[in-house]
Amino acid sequence: MAGLLNKLRMMDAAPAKAPAPQNEKSAETGLYRREAVFPLSTFCDRSYATPETLRTVFGCDFPASVVPEDVLFLDTETTGLSGGVGTVAFQVGLGYFTEAGFAVEQFLMRDYPDEEAMLNLLAARMKRFSVLCTFNGKTFDVPLLKTRFLMNRIRDDGIPACHADVLFPARRLWKLRLKQCNLGTLETALLGVEREDDLPGALVPQTYFQYLKDRNFTPLIGILDHNRQDIVSLAQLFYVLCVQFSQPEAILEQEDLFSLARALEKQGQKEKAMKCYRLCEGGSFRAQATRAMAVHEKREGQYRAAAKLLETMLERGDDPVFAYEALAKLYEHQFRDPEQALHYVRQALLLLAEPRLHKDEAVQEKQNELQYRYARLRRKLRQESAMP
Amino acid sequence: MNLDQLLGQLRQNSKFMSCVTHWRTLAATEGKYADFPESMDPRIQDVLRKRGIYRLYTHQAQSFELAQEKKDFVVVTPTASGKTLCYNLPVLSAILKNEDARALYLFPTKALSADQVSGLYDMIQALDMDIKAYTYDGDTQNAARKSIRQAGHIVVTNPDMLHANILPHHTKWVKLFENLQYIVIDEIHTYRGVFGSHLANVLRRLERLCAFYGSHPQYILCSATIQNPVELAQALTGRKVTAVTENGAPSGERHFIFYNPPVVNKQLGIRKGCLNETRAVAEELLRNGIPTIVFAKSRVQVEVLTRYLKDCVRDAYGFSGRVRGYRGGYLPGERREIERGLRAGEVDMVVSTNALELGVDIGSLSACVLCGYPGSIASTWQQAGRAGRRKDTAVTILVASSAPLDQYVIEHPDYFFQTSPENALVQPNNLYILLSHLKCSAYELPFKDGELFGGLPDTEECLEYLVENNILRHLDGKYYWMEEELPSGEISLRSATAENFVIIDITNPAHHRVIGEMDRFTVPMLLHENAIYMHEARQYQVEKLDFDACKAFIRAVDVDYYTDADMNVSLHILDKLEEKQAKSGVDVTLGELRVSTIVKVFKKMKLDTHENLGFGEVRLPQSDMHTVGMWWTIPDSLAARYSNDDLQGALVGVANLLSIVAPLYLMCSPRDIRVVYQVKAPITDKPTIFLYDSFPGGVGLSEKAYAMQQLLLEQALSVVLECGCADGCPACVGPAAEVGADGKQNAQLILKELLAQWQDF
Repeated sequence: MAGLLNKLRMMDAAPAKAPAPQNEKSAETGLYRREAVFPLSTFCDRSYATPETLRTVFGCDFPASVVPEDVLFLDTETTGLSGGVGTVAFQVGLGYFTEAGFAVEQFLMRDYPDEEAMLNLLAARMKRFSVLCTFNGKTFDVPLLKTRFLMNRIRDDGIPACHADVLFPARRLWKLRLKQCNLGTLETALLGVEREDDLPGALVPQTYFQYLKDRNFTPLIGILDHNRQDIVSLAQLFYVLCVQFSQPEAILEQEDLFSLARALEKQGQKEKAMKCYRLCEGGSFRAQATRAMAVHEKREGQYRAAAKLLETMLERGDDPVFAYEALAKLYEHQFRDPEQALHYVRQALLLLAEPRLHKDEAVQEKQNELQYRYARLRRKLRQESAMP
Repeated sequence: MNLDQLLGQLRQNSKFMSCVTHWRTLAATEGKYADFPESMDPRIQDVLRKRGIYRLYTHQAQSFELAQEKKDFVVVTPTASGKTLCYNLPVLSAILKNEDARALYLFPTKALSADQVSGLYDMIQALDMDIKAYTYDGDTQNAARKSIRQAGHIVVTNPDMLHANILPHHTKWVKLFENLQYIVIDEIHTYRGVFGSHLANVLRRLERLCAFYGSHPQYILCSATIQNPVELAQALTGRKVTAVTENGAPSGERHFIFYNPPVVNKQLGIRKGCLNETRAVAEELLRNGIPTIVFAKSRVQVEVLTRYLKDCVRDAYGFSGRVRGYRGGYLPGERREIERGLRAGEVDMVVSTNALELGVDIGSLSACVLCGYPGSIASTWQQAGRAGRRKDTAVTILVASSAPLDQYVIEHPDYFFQTSPENALVQPNNLYILLSHLKCSAYELPFKDGELFGGLPDTEECLEYLVENNILRHLDGKYYWMEEELPSGEISLRSATAENFVIIDITNPAHHRVIGEMDRFTVPMLLHENAIYMHEARQYQVEKLDFDACKAFIRAVDVDYYTDADMNVSLHILDKLEEKQAKSGVDVTLGELRVSTIVKVFKKMKLDTHENLGFGEVRLPQSDMHTVGMWWTIPDSLAARYSNDDLQGALVGVANLLSIVAPLYLMCSPRDIRVVYQVKAPITDKPTIFLYDSFPGGVGLSEKAYAMQQLLLEQALSVVLECGCADGCPACVGPAAEVGADGKQNAQLILKELLAQWQDF
């Protein structure tokens, strides 16, 4: 009878993979660490990152006394993306401001047993900061690190409670224009960074496993460089966001301006949002901005102001069907003038009645809605005239 | 007419009675009660009293005491005996004592979980305490998952979910694992074969994690009546388990009627179709408004029967909702709705596969009709148990098919009533299964040198194998996970492969909709191109089967036939494990086999008459299974006495006989093994009869058969000697058309010869 191992091998559809090539192992063992310092000129003006602005950007409270030196920027490289307990962050990069400049400190496990030492160091480092900043860390890096701490029985209470995840405000501000919001896209579009020979993220786990087998450190330099660039970009974006949120006038891209206005409105920053919308009026998002302002004014009970904005839209020929319909609603319900309301509905219907090449279900639907409104207004008017 | 009246009338009906081979009345039994245990929390006692419960059944009280003694135990009582309280009382009691205490409930299906939680809610609400019980399965909303992980006192889930979602993410469940006090597993008799072997390994993984988090949970298990509940419980949990077997619940009078459809062709031993006879019996019950469950053996049968019976009740508006079909492959919402309809009495009759065999609460039905013998004694009792609650009369009518096993059982009622129900075998150390879970476990927590998985001495050897395959990395006394992907993703607990196929209805081109799903193993049989697939009694034709994308596209049709696919099997011997040799070269061997199956053709069968209308071709890839088998090699000297045709006929006969008796003596379902023959087997180069486990890796049936091979041959011989047919029928060697004119005779001779070899030995 075959031994257990032979039996195991026989069960394989393919023959057992050849054992890992045993190259000369590099003599070095233990946790790898490297550090680099970038001059402050790498970054835009950091003075905009006040607690109020940060609160607007990230939607959470920051310590009142926050200074750049309080923020820890973090990014990890992992053995997989599955997010289960067996995925390891084999490389952790930290960025923080010192007197000398922006320091990027990187740790890399030369092998699995180094994890404990790395996590202990990480826990100690994190205790010195009150704010953590990541890119998508709320979903990925932080839960993963918490798992690693737990599996190694190391306390994770040093993780700063205040966590600024750049991904979310970045999406709000730039998604409309850039379509994609991964770190690479943002870097290229906003920071002018062009990476050369960058290692694609998807190859990171395999590159690390290959190193574990052949001990050739060179490809890991690629991972470390990639990680370092991620951290620098992350810190740059953190401050770019602060500048953009506090200085809408300086924004050149119309999409961004409009996105910012919407983001501010969502945050309940009405004044600032209106200011932004008004800034949009000179550009390609004029129609959307005026429309948003009209909706806003109506919601605030400023019906005359809303009507004025809608009329402006009509004068400019911006989104007239919407403007006519919104005016009709205002005149029917708020100004109690069904006759004028009926006039606007008729105008809207006339616009929709223009011949079209294709049948459009949305148009059809809108027509039905307006027809219904039209009929109701006619009924109202008849009843009014019938009254003595 | 109520059921008692109807039964009285049936006894007078000579046409019906001429088909009844046995009518057994099991008398009503009194309940056995015990006072509330003193240690039971007074708040729980109050709640029970408010619900009109002043005493417990003896088995419930005994369970409570065992739980307090920190014993692991298994409760073995029939359906509807108040099993739920056996675990809910100790669990709720523990949580009342310590609000951090946690319990994990495992049920084999989502339907059962949902059902259990609603029962638990009622108890908890009556207690008016902040105890949280949640189901955690594929249907759970993402938003709810976080609070379940943090705050759920009782987490109700299934083994698949535990395997794929909870264990690989255990750090999100710290609260549960740190405070886990009870693991409750209901319906453990369903965890047999592959599924059970998987579960045993999932529990080994769970125990490793509990040890990591410092908890040592206690097991409370429940089982239907099987022969070896304790053995099964111990194999699953790896613990020493105490049994609670005395049932204290009362039961009403129960009739068991064995119905054998009339013979239409004595020569060929052919009887009237089981399906049509079941239909007639069910219609009688339906006409009298008796709430009934009809169990059919396959999904196709369920659909055909549902269609017949729906026609019977269809009103002027075309509404036939009083009869419903129920089986795997229906979407969850549809199933919940049918269960609710049954409880509310809006549905009079449900036609089901064994999907409803388990304890989903479907209210009190009075009658149960079995279309064909369910294949095992345990299953039959389970299905019969769906009819009849505490006090009322209940009836079970078993309608036999002409399949040999059915005929054996229907003619030997004593076998059914006196033999203890089947063994449930599991083989946790099946190498395929073991390795899969060892991977998962290594992913969940690195193994340390010297650590054993489920106490297995071979742990290290298996880990080294994974190291060799670059899945693990062995360094400084630990085995680290070295792959990108989660290993649990590609391992399914229920069948060989993970992916299910979705079934898409493309009848309306503008609106494709998914109407069901099916496991990969069943797809070649039921969803090959041009198959007629039935869903809620509507016919669909499969237009396209995209095997790679796991999708089947079907279109509604209206035809008068159904389809039935044939599976081809070929065998290769991979390794011999043991061998016995008799004097003249008769070998019996135990070894490992590769079994390749492929579906190449299907038959079109006319709906009402079941006549064959023709064949169609199926083009699907072959699927391979590696398993354990045993085989008899017939020496040339013996084979030489027959012509090739005669030899083949005799082998068909012997194989048929063995496949009749083997399940009976191996105590397994006929589906669990296969018996095939080869006139000239490629490796032995001689006529050979194979018997193998039809599960990848085997579950121990062939080993058992190997050990009792002589008994199997003797029993096969006695079946053929006792059979009254002229020259072969389906209940012995098979019809003469299949085995040849002398087939019956030759099969007997071969069996006698084989036995003689061993008896002299």
